[in-house]
Amino acid sequence: MKQKGRKIARCFVFLFGLLCMLLLLSRLFVPKNNRKEFGMQDVQANGILGEPENTIEVLVIGDSLAYSGLVPMALWEQYGIPSYVCCTKAQQLPYSASLLQQALRTQKPKVVLLEANAIYRKITGIEFLVNVSRDSLPVLNYHDRWKSLNVNDLSGRVEYTWTDDGKGYLFNKKSRPAEKKNYMVPTEETEKIAWLNERYVSYIAKLCEKNGAELMLYSTPSAKCWNYKRHNGIQELADRLSVPYLDMNLLSDEVAIDWTKDTRDYGDHMNYSGAKKVTQYLGSYLKAHYELSDCRDSERYAKWNDCLARWKRKVEK
Amino acid sequence: MYSYCSVVFLGVFLPLTVALYQALPQKGRRVVLLAASYVFFWILSGKLLLYLLFSTLSVHHIGLWLSLLANERDAALQGVERSERKAIKQQYLHKQRMVMGFAVVLHIGILVAVKYTAFFGWNLNNLFEVLHLPLRLSTVKILAPIGISFYTLQALSYLFDVYRGSVPADRNLFRLALFLSFFPQIMEGPICRYSDTAQALWECPSVSYRSLTFGAQRILYGVMKKVVVADRLNAFIKPVFADYAQYDGGVIALAAVGYTCQLYMEFSGTMDIVIGAAEIFGIRLPENFRQPFFSKSISEFWKRWHITLGTWFRDYIFYPVTLSKPLKKLTTWGRKRLGNHFGPLLAGAVALFCVWFSNGIWHGAGWNYIFFGIYHFVLILLGNVFEPFVHKTYEKLRLRRNGAVCTGLRILKTGVLVCIGELFFRAPELGIGMKMFGRMVGSFSLSSFKSGKIFEMGMDRQDFIIVGVTVAIVFLFGVLKERGVQIRQRTAEKPTVLRWALYYALILFVIVFGAYGPGYIPVDPIYANF
Repeated sequence: MKQKGRKIARCFVFLFGLLCMLLLLSRLFVPKNNRKEFGMQDVQANGILGEPENTIEVLVIGDSLAYSGLVPMALWEQYGIPSYVCCTKAQQLPYSASLLQQALRTQKPKVVLLEANAIYRKITGIEFLVNVSRDSLPVLNYHDRWKSLNVNDLSGRVEYTWTDDGKGYLFNKKSRPAEKKNYMVPTEETEKIAWLNERYVSYIAKLCEKNGAELMLYSTPSAKCWNYKRHNGIQELADRLSVPYLDMNLLSDEVAIDWTKDTRDYGDHMNYSGAKKVTQYLGSYLKAHYELSDCRDSERYAKWNDCLARWKRKVEK
Repeated sequence: MYSYCSVVFLGVFLPLTVALYQALPQKGRRVVLLAASYVFFWILSGKLLLYLLFSTLSVHHIGLWLSLLANERDAALQGVERSERKAIKQQYLHKQRMVMGFAVVLHIGILVAVKYTAFFGWNLNNLFEVLHLPLRLSTVKILAPIGISFYTLQALSYLFDVYRGSVPADRNLFRLALFLSFFPQIMEGPICRYSDTAQALWECPSVSYRSLTFGAQRILYGVMKKVVVADRLNAFIKPVFADYAQYDGGVIALAAVGYTCQLYMEFSGTMDIVIGAAEIFGIRLPENFRQPFFSKSISEFWKRWHITLGTWFRDYIFYPVTLSKPLKKLTTWGRKRLGNHFGPLLAGAVALFCVWFSNGIWHGAGWNYIFFGIYHFVLILLGNVFEPFVHKTYEKLRLRRNGAVCTGLRILKTGVLVCIGELFFRAPELGIGMKMFGRMVGSFSLSSFKSGKIFEMGMDRQDFIIVGVTVAIVFLFGVLKERGVQIRQRTAEKPTVLRWALYYALILFVIVFGAYGPGYIPVDPIYANF
């Protein structure tokens, strides 16, 4: 029995040693800068790491509907709200939570917007496990950096210098009309939200509360991804969590999306002209419901105005 | 969980099964293994699990039927005059043959129906078109359960053994079900024999510290082969085989070598994981590889590569065909007219053709696979035919056939022939394989290597280096195994510090240099699709 206990203990010591080594390696492998050439992944979303501390008032998390449908530079130009879109393609809630956690280390946003489409993205148990281990041991995510490791990586010190002029928005001017326009047919039915997904939204809500931010759920117009059942599901979830939910799919008069011109891929995502309409409405909503300052004249935000000029040159090309 | 190398299998499914297995007494362990095997199959194939259930039930029933006939025969023979014995034996042999024939038609029929219907339909339609016949068959592709090619051969081997009387028919349906469905080996083999594994599985020994650590080491070695080499090579090989016309002969040659390496690392790596997983439960599965790239001839290569498939074909096709009456007559006839060397080769060639045609088509419904089989048949046959001349040539030139230089050259020659065969095997279809081979030989050029363009084709310089280093490690282990060194046993005898350092080094090597995560598409389990 004693022998058996000793062997089990040896197994645990071995695993503990391995964990320590992986933690050390994680310090070595984590990119020391948030530029792509330093090995950083999802550089647009991670561009927030290069923003000066406590300068972002509205933070957005979610999938491609969010990075295609909200233009932070338009929000800045029209309302003076400094925002950042920390969104990635097919983003699942564990990654949304990770990006939010990462952003909250340097930023103190007043509002966190969660695009609701991500709430319906299925998370398997294994995706959950993979995400947890990648968060805890970045070497699993950045192991491929062995090709570019150098002496500076040994220090383990990070220096994030890059910021994205689009502040996480993916500029796209293409226009491909939607086939289906009347997709929001009223119904009493509800699309069920998976248990793990609801736990994640609840976790994100708590994280926001702990950091003094208000969570708001919202839906960007999407003729392909959204429907009334989903609207009902998210509305019920928002009620349970006592957070506001804004569904712009129901605001055809206020947002006035022209489905023949404002979508880049047949009604799935907004293009630039659609995103500007969404941003304009969302900006006025945020201004009306939250205490957000107009930072356009603040010296701290001088770089934002420079960025706006560069952004305009880019989109007007 | 479409791979034994997946996080779900190695991180969740296997540890949970091991924990449950160990927590229960022997009877409970049997239930755990059988339930885990069926859950595993259900996760991979869903309701196609019915195929496995049907196979198991029919194999069990046919086994008992064969056994019943044998018992009836033995009873009928008791107290019977010697003159009548032969007639009775013949009568029962005929009945047993009928039952066995039914079993073969049933199981091979299912295999053919799910795997080859579309292929045959497509070929017949082409034939009708050529003959201007107004006939068209609808080519429906039937969903095949994962591993059907493997468990069908395993099921038939059991029935053949019962028929021959080398194993008794199993009355215990659950033991037989576990033998046919044991989850580590159902997807890609090895193709086990009832006499080797069924009882061992049923005994369900405890997981010991040794079995756990040895099994884990073997799994880790397999993961290294698969994740570091096979998955990394995928980025280079896939585009070349998808659009060969973009590449010169040198690149195609490298892709053929790369694919051979990838196939070996993927399949033998998976076998390491499979055998390691079984080892944790205290089960010794048969080896499927024995350093095949140390082979000095194609015939030797196939004794070292996919060993359990080779021995299956040898025991259940080659020997029965060779020992059949017509071929025995042919051998006698051949000996009289062609002498003792060439005479038996005639019958051998027929049996060899049956083996290699079956081998080719077993791998898949495609002319490239049939060509692959025939290619090896021709090489082995030529090897047998020319053996006396080769032997004489060595003697005349006073060369030591087993000397270092000759051995090295023979190994190299075998490697080249294997790589050519694998080129056809990997090509999307036979025609493309031919064109690739033509381009490889006709437009051979090293310009992509000289200009450094080769490093812009999915794998950069560092990728090639890491593949080279890992292949060197595997080669080194291969040399040690060839010399009979029990690597894991020797390692276990080393001081803890040294041993742990080695394990840590291997684990970290896989974690850092593995081709997984963003930017990598792991290669699908190649043999699971056969």
